[in-house]
Amino acid sequence: MALQGTEQTILRDPALFYWILIPITIVMILTGILRHYATVLMNSPPKPPSTLAESRERYSIFRGVNLRSNGFVLPPESFEVRKSYLISAYKNGAFLKDPESRGQPPANPMTDPAGMDAMMGMMKGNMMMMIPQTLIMSWINAFFSGFVILKLPFPLTIRFKSMLQSGVMTRDLDVRWVSSLSWYFLNLFGLQSVFGFILGSDNAANHMASQMAGMNPTAGMNPFQPGQDPDKLYLNEAENLEVMEHFCIYDGIEERILHNLASK
Amino acid sequence: MSNTKNEPIHSSDLLATLQYSQQAPILLGRQSNSKMAPLSLITSAAAQPEEYATIERLFFACLQTGDDKSALICLDKLTKFFGRSNERIMGLHGLYEEAIAGDNSALEKCLREYDDILQQNPVNLPVLKRRIALLRSLSRPADAISSLIKLLEATPTDTEAWCELADLYRFQGMSSQAIFCLEEALLITPNAWNVHACLAELLYVCATSPENGEPSKLLRRSMRHYCRSIELCDDYLRGFYGLALVTSLLLETEESCTMEEVSLKETLPRLNAFAFQKLEAIVKSRFMDYQGQKCCQSELIAAKELLNRFGKSS
Repeated sequence: MALQGTEQTILRDPALFYWILIPITIVMILTGILRHYATVLMNSPPKPPSTLAESRERYSIFRGVNLRSNGFVLPPESFEVRKSYLISAYKNGAFLKDPESRGQPPANPMTDPAGMDAMMGMMKGNMMMMIPQTLIMSWINAFFSGFVILKLPFPLTIRFKSMLQSGVMTRDLDVRWVSSLSWYFLNLFGLQSVFGFILGSDNAANHMASQMAGMNPTAGMNPFQPGQDPDKLYLNEAENLEVMEHFCIYDGIEERILHNLASK
Repeated sequence: MSNTKNEPIHSSDLLATLQYSQQAPILLGRQSNSKMAPLSLITSAAAQPEEYATIERLFFACLQTGDDKSALICLDKLTKFFGRSNERIMGLHGLYEEAIAGDNSALEKCLREYDDILQQNPVNLPVLKRRIALLRSLSRPADAISSLIKLLEATPTDTEAWCELADLYRFQGMSSQAIFCLEEALLITPNAWNVHACLAELLYVCATSPENGEPSKLLRRSMRHYCRSIELCDDYLRGFYGLALVTSLLLETEESCTMEEVSLKETLPRLNAFAFQKLEAIVKSRFMDYQGQKCCQSELIAAKELLNRFGKSS
């Protein structure tokens, strides 16, 4: 272990700074921008529904969600009517594309062309992430492995050693020294705001966001993942509706108006 | 129907529409000039979506004011950029054909064209909506309602369509169905104060019509919706107008019959007074600067008339 209280000094060539630190940063930023545009180019928009029944199957789930989240705008009797209607319709599978095939195992997404498209889209996105990262990392490993390029101006605990000094097999080196491979990782995770600044907030280089988007698709797109059984989602939604408690926003609204607005 | 979509200009406000469409030559000229600039490919890349939205609005405004020539130029520009097979462009083309159609037979031809398009792609929403609007303007409301219901079955999250259906029902005198539709629209956009006010108006009309059984209950519901619309937008003239009207009516009717809710008995007069006071304030402040914006003049005049009728004007 390094002696406590003594300052480790390593004589570094200042050229390391210009020929490793800055190139890695620039390359990272450029690949981020490139990835953004490549994703934009390769991105295929989600396919719109091709029949009315398919569209109904997609969007009817939102009716239940809307009723659950915005049900407070209805007076109790209208709410109850809608709730019982939706629950029974969900349970009977009234909104399904073909009610006959209900209960059967879902089609294999590999054989379903629509599912295949979605899978391809996901795959393209993942490939856009993986390939550049692999290339850059092997580039850094091949040329700059083992370089210590930077000293942080503040002390850190020993836990950060694995994060900041990957590629440098020195046990005694102070944690404040940063290796080139670690600088790459820091860039990989730390450049989000730079991309946000250059490309706008909803850029595709922001791989964290794209991973999140893969997990919960926003409204307007197909709410169902390929291979997912819509019937299960409907039954789930029916259950959610059954247990929800209704409150009405119009209870005591007169007093609220008088209190909030008239008193001003 | 679809011509009111995404439109900042209120389409019932003809004066503003006219002013906007009169700028058509300038706007169109400017856009063709900017195409000439050598750097436009780089600089205008980001601005293009807004530009085309402007052209679309201009198209609607020109059609509304009868400037078909400029409308055609706008349509050509849009078609050139988005292609003839774009669904929305197909809808706009239909709209243009309808607008220049001289008589009913030409409109029937449009309808047949829509049917052809829909046979190829049954989920072409803009064309579906145009077809319904055309059925309505051909005064076949029953067909329009049934097609609209079919459309809503497929896309139950379309606020615009629910509002249109409510409107259709209202003109057919089917108030309870219209109320249902507006409630659905509210479920999708719970904070739309104009929809709240619309629903309240409908309930009010429903309550004042003679065949209804329990007017006071509907009136109270109407009042609550007006309250909500005011709560969401605290200088909404239409909301205050309605609140003033409905509370006055409630005060009249509740005096004769027994009041069920005790708390309402004391809040009702206060609410009524508040509505009139606020209405007066709004009218006063807006009449000051109505020279600048002529848009909501008719609403202001109506509000003033109401104030005079109840003798509250100072």
